[in-house]
This record gives sequence, C-alpha cells and structure tokens, in this order.
Amino acid sequence: MNTVQIDTGRLNEIGYNSCVASCGSFMVLDHTVMESHCNIEGLVVLPLKQAFDTYPHVREKLFFNVVPRDSSDTTLQAAEKEPVGYYVFVEPGIRIEEPLQAAFLFGETGSHQFIHNIIELGEGAELNIVNGCTTATHGRSGTHVGITETYLGKNAHLGYTMIHNWGHAMEVFPVGAVSVGEGARYISNYVGMTEVRKIVTNPAAYVEAGGSARFYSVIFSKGDSYFDTGARVLLKGNDASGEIISRVVSEGGTVISRQLLSGERPGTFGHMECSGLLLNENGVIHSIPELRGAHPDINLAHEAAVGKISREELSYLMTRGLTEEQARALIIRGFLDIKIEGLPDKVQSFMDEIISRSVEGSI
Amino acid sequence: MSFLEITDLHVSVEGKEILKGIDLSLDIGRTAIIFGPNGSGKSTLMGAISGLPGYEITQGSITFKGQDISRLSVDERSRLGIGLSFQYPPAIKGVRLRTLLETLSRQAPDKITEYAQLLNLTAYLDRDINVGFSGGERKRSEVLQLMMQMPDLLLLDEPESGVDVENISVIADGLRIILEKEQPISRRKRSAIIITHTGFILDYIKADIAFVIMNGHVLGCGAPGEIFEEIRRDGYSKCSSCFAEKFCEEYKGAL
Repeated sequence: MNTVQIDTGRLNEIGYNSCVASCGSFMVLDHTVMESHCNIEGLVVLPLKQAFDTYPHVREKLFFNVVPRDSSDTTLQAAEKEPVGYYVFVEPGIRIEEPLQAAFLFGETGSHQFIHNIIELGEGAELNIVNGCTTATHGRSGTHVGITETYLGKNAHLGYTMIHNWGHAMEVFPVGAVSVGEGARYISNYVGMTEVRKIVTNPAAYVEAGGSARFYSVIFSKGDSYFDTGARVLLKGNDASGEIISRVVSEGGTVISRQLLSGERPGTFGHMECSGLLLNENGVIHSIPELRGAHPDINLAHEAAVGKISREELSYLMTRGLTEEQARALIIRGFLDIKIEGLPDKVQSFMDEIISRSVEGSI
Repeated sequence: MSFLEITDLHVSVEGKEILKGIDLSLDIGRTAIIFGPNGSGKSTLMGAISGLPGYEITQGSITFKGQDISRLSVDERSRLGIGLSFQYPPAIKGVRLRTLLETLSRQAPDKITEYAQLLNLTAYLDRDINVGFSGGERKRSEVLQLMMQMPDLLLLDEPESGVDVENISVIADGLRIILEKEQPISRRKRSAIIITHTGFILDYIKADIAFVIMNGHVLGCGAPGEIFEEIRRDGYSKCSSCFAEKFCEEYKGAL
C-alpha cells in the first residue's frame, strides 16, 4: 500500500480531475496503479501487466516493438523492470468523444520511476488521451522514464496530449513511437511549462500510405531547465503527410529543439515550423530542423526563427494603452497559442488555460 | 491653454534633428490637417506627440489637457487619451485582433461586433493582428482599434495611403463617429491631427484648420481647402513665400 498522499491540486494542474467528465481514467503513483477504469463499451483501459494476461498479443506483438528494446540505454534499463503503465485499446469503428485522462505522479524523492504504456486503436477507431505527469509536492527529485508505444489501425485517429509539470530537480526521459496505419491520423501535443532539471525526448512516427502525423509542442523554459526535445516523422507510405510545429519561449536554461521530416515515398509532403523567443540573455534556444528526401516526388518545407520580442510590436500595443508588461504577456501568450485542428474544445481550453497561467506567472 | 499646445519643439531621430522648433496648438473638438512634403517631419511630430521610442525631444514641450507629457511613456500618454493610427502598422503573429480589442476598455465589449461590421472587419476579428491584411484592411483595423480606444486626441498618420476610394469612405465613417462630427463643434469632445499626402481624406472628413510643415518648421496654417488648392497648384516649393504671412495670423484667432 502506498502511503504517499495524492495532492489533488497538482493533479488539477495537469488536467486530471475525477469530477471532469471523461471516458475513463488511469493513475499511477510512483510504481503503483492507483486507478484504472473506463466507462464506455468498446474501450479497454487496463494496467499493462494485467493486459499481458488478458490479451496475449500485447506482450507478444506490441510490447517493445515500435520502440525496440535495445534502442537506447534508457530502454534497456526499462526492459529490466516490471512494466507499470496502461494498455488502452479501442475496438474498430468505435469513436469516443470524451477524452481519456491519465496521470503519472512521482512521490518518492530520489527514486526512479519506469512507466510503459501501450495504445492500440482498431480500424476507424477514434480516441483522445490527456496524459499529465507531475511530482507530488514533496517528491522533488528523481528520474522518470516513460515509454509509450502506439499502434493505429487503418483510418484510426488518436489525439495524444502530454502535459508536463515536473519539479525543478527531476530528470525525465519520455520515449515514444507511433505506428500510423494507412489513412490514420495521429496528433501529438506537448506542453512543458515548468522548471525541470532535464527532459530528453524525441518521439518518432512511422506513417503509412495516406496517413498523417502532426506534432505540436509549446515549451516555456525557466531557471536552469534543460530540454532536449523533438519529433521525427518518417513518411513511409505513398501520400503520407506530416507536420511539426514547435514554439519555445525561454527566460532561462537550454532548449534543444530537434525536428526531422523524412519523405521516402511518392506524394509525401510535410511542413515544419520551429520558432523560438528569447526573453532575456539567460537562455539558449538551439533549433535543429532537418528535412530528408528519398524520392523526387515529395514536398517538404521548413521555417525556423529564433529572436526576441520586437520593440515595434511592443510599442504598437503600448500606443493602445497597454503597459509594457501587459504588451509583453500578450505577445508571449500569442506566440505560444497554437490552435490545433481536430483537438476537442475541452482539451484545447485546458491547454490554453495552463499556458496563460504560466505566462502570467512569469511576467 | 489649448487642448494640445506644442511649444518650440525640437526632436531628433538617431541623433539627427528633424523638428527644429515646432509651435502648434489645437483646441478641443477641432480637426487639424498637416500637409508637408516627404521628409518634412510630419511623422516625426506624430511619433513625438504619442511618445514612440526613437523620437528624442531635445527642447521645448508638449502639453496635453494642461499637463506636460514630454517625459511620459507611450502607454501613459495613451491612457491620458492620445490614440495613434500608424501609417505602417506592424503585424503581430499570434495575437488576435479580438483579443486586443477586448483589452481596450473604454468601450463596451458588444461594440466590437458593431464597429467591426461598420468597418467590414467581422471576418478578421479572430485573425492575428495585421497578418496577411491588405493595406486597406490594416487601415480599417487601425480605425477599429481607435474606435474601441476612443481617445480624446487622434493622431492619424496617412489614414488613406494605400487605400482605395471605397475603403477611404468606410474609414471616414469610423473616424466621424470617434470625432462626433454629427455634433456641433462646441459640443465635440475629441480632436484630431491628420497627416495627409494626397488630401483625399478632406473629401470625407471636414477639417477645421491646416498646418504646413517643411524642413522641421511649421510654415503656416490656414483653411484646409484653400491650402490644399495652393499646394496642388503651386507645389510645396512656393509655400515659403505665401503661407506664413497669408494665413497663419488670420486663423490663430480660431484656435
């Protein structure tokens, strides 16, 4: 029995609230599954270990498959641990509007948390998942490794939102890979708004014919934070498409933002946009956009910019009566404002709210 | 004391003196037009009155509503009631026009819809400010912002430049509302200074007085229509021999 008290305030900050209508929920505290349930027919939410017994293919075909066991030291280390995490499955043709909420809490100072999640959507299935990761107020330092393997069947659709709200002494290593089936759509949103010692993540999407993968990330780097984040979209099938949009605001720390779009088949197309805003001289933003074409009939493009808030824009807003602080906050808030097509209003509103809160707290 | 009183104003930009002793005054409820060739200092005057960075007042004063505003910041001047329509307003990615309008609190929020309809900007409210806007759309957006701001002194820098005739008319409709042009002059509470190159705006907004600026000095003032005619006929080159004596003294009484 885990004796750590769960801080509901911290849970609210990452969007996990048992009062909010959702199709199901899943919560882990340290190494223990505290909650796992679903309310909808056609949706399965189970602790991964239990899923191994109920659905043998999960261990045999999905576990350490799209993320190979030996892909890094982190995954090799994780493979030696007993898997703690969820298995989520949506039956073919089932479309679920309410998001599934999941929370991963870190409570035990100085320990190492290993999470392994597997998501599987049948043909034509649709789901949105909001994942939140946070430290309990007293669990301030430690390591979190989170592996997520995702398999989307033909024409399936998954919206996957990740909110990070770690303590400033945490080191975090999310490892993710997605197999996007024919005509399927995958949307990933990543929000990192709090100071953290280190986050290293570079998820990959392998996109089959006619499918699409879109990665959106907003990061507000503070203090001595170190983010090495990115996304890779590998367009493996004809007419597959990808988009990577990254917005980084820095008032301290280092952010390395890596993006890769690779077109390997005819008709593939993709776009990436990496923008960085430096608020002072304390931070570094290192943007690394990469395009790789392996077929002449592809269309890949990128735009990247790192700079400061324009004096002209500030003055313009100040002629309207806004103070410099108000003008600055409006510009930063706008810079981080990504309206994501296909994201449920509830998830978008929540993302908007935490971004606003973070900007207001900083200015 | 006039509503706006500018005395012996010297302004430098990047160390170069552009305004070399401007004297100008404007009463409440009046609209002034400023004519002047390129590089004469018209936009510098607007920048100096509104307090934009880069316009350094080296001598003289600007008094608005009886208060010396020369050392106030741009936002302090705005909150005191000065509103500027830019000749080239910047685009601000990520900030929606509606979001900015909602922060301009001198008007009720439901006015946003009403005024946006008047200026044919309803479809632009949820777009980023000026991003992808045409010249005319930018100028209409400026007027919409001013309508929500309802400043006591409007500074309009070339409001008709790059705007087609149809749009000038729409812009003028908005400006007339701010300037309460339907009221008799004695009951108007707001004043304006309009910079114009072409004078087209005079067909839509009745101005009470015109000033001519050349080489950083006010050369003369007078009846807007007459001065505009003289400029059209003789150009600015002959201004130095006519306006100063001919009009200025006559109209000083009108201020």
